[in-house]
Amino acid sequence: MVEADDRILLDWDALQVGETFDSYEYVLTQDMIDTYRQGVMDSEASFPTISHKVDVKQYNARYRDAGSVNARCAFYCYNPPVPGKRITVRAWIADKYLRRGKNYIVTEAVSVDEDGRLIDRVITHELKQPTEVGKKWGG
Amino acid sequence: MGGLNRSYAVDDELPPLVKEMTQEAINLFEGSAGESGPSQFTDEETARETLGTEGTVASGRMSLSFAIELLRRYFGSDVYNHTGSVDLRFLRPVRPGDTITFTGRITGVTREVNGSRVSVEIKAENQRGDTTGAGQGSAVVPNAYLPSDE
Repeated sequence: MVEADDRILLDWDALQVGETFDSYEYVLTQDMIDTYRQGVMDSEASFPTISHKVDVKQYNARYRDAGSVNARCAFYCYNPPVPGKRITVRAWIADKYLRRGKNYIVTEAVSVDEDGRLIDRVITHELKQPTEVGKKWGG
Repeated sequence: MGGLNRSYAVDDELPPLVKEMTQEAINLFEGSAGESGPSQFTDEETARETLGTEGTVASGRMSLSFAIELLRRYFGSDVYNHTGSVDLRFLRPVRPGDTITFTGRITGVTREVNGSRVSVEIKAENQRGDTTGAGQGSAVVPNAYLPSDE
């Protein structure tokens, strides 16, 4: 049986900059860190939180849309996360803009661990017409 | 890798970082966050439907990770992991089989209260010479790491 998708269909015009999402919690395991380091081919990679895409995770939990393409991403390092610690993420809509007829949404998130250590901040600009990638760059 | 004592000057170039992109690496990156379902990164059919491309692409966040590695290796983890930043625009898709070279050049050194911010221009190119990403990064280097002012 297919579960009903009760997420809100994105109305880009109605989306409010400043809208906040429910906080999101997860435990970063050593296995997650090891797998991330293998994926990025860097045995000292210190911010495996990057692959968790925490800034768009809560957006995607609330909204459904045609998909997206990451157009730009900024990342600020404060303290590398410690394996086994619970991480709490707060995320919000930081901005939205229209460029060359295409819609973008900017999400921002801050991660803090259970001891109150600030981990990182990430800001992502997502193009909300993902098929533009195929149109522009083909196969 | 700790803090590195060195001088920083505008137009200094960072040692380049080369990455061979594979589907296995992409799958590991996506799987490290517990994502196991098909996506535009791991499944060709999903990529065709979502992006209109013939094959999968790597998440821009992999390029972000590589840019961070470029800077961390240069500044040292003691410095970069606590004061570093990167802001990268993704200009072309990165695909399995691509070889991506990340380069950096210092564009500014400015004194701040707790050190000197060293700003770097970053570029990523594939094996065909196409720019796949571009942006900036920085780190705040303790003044003790720098030569004293005249």
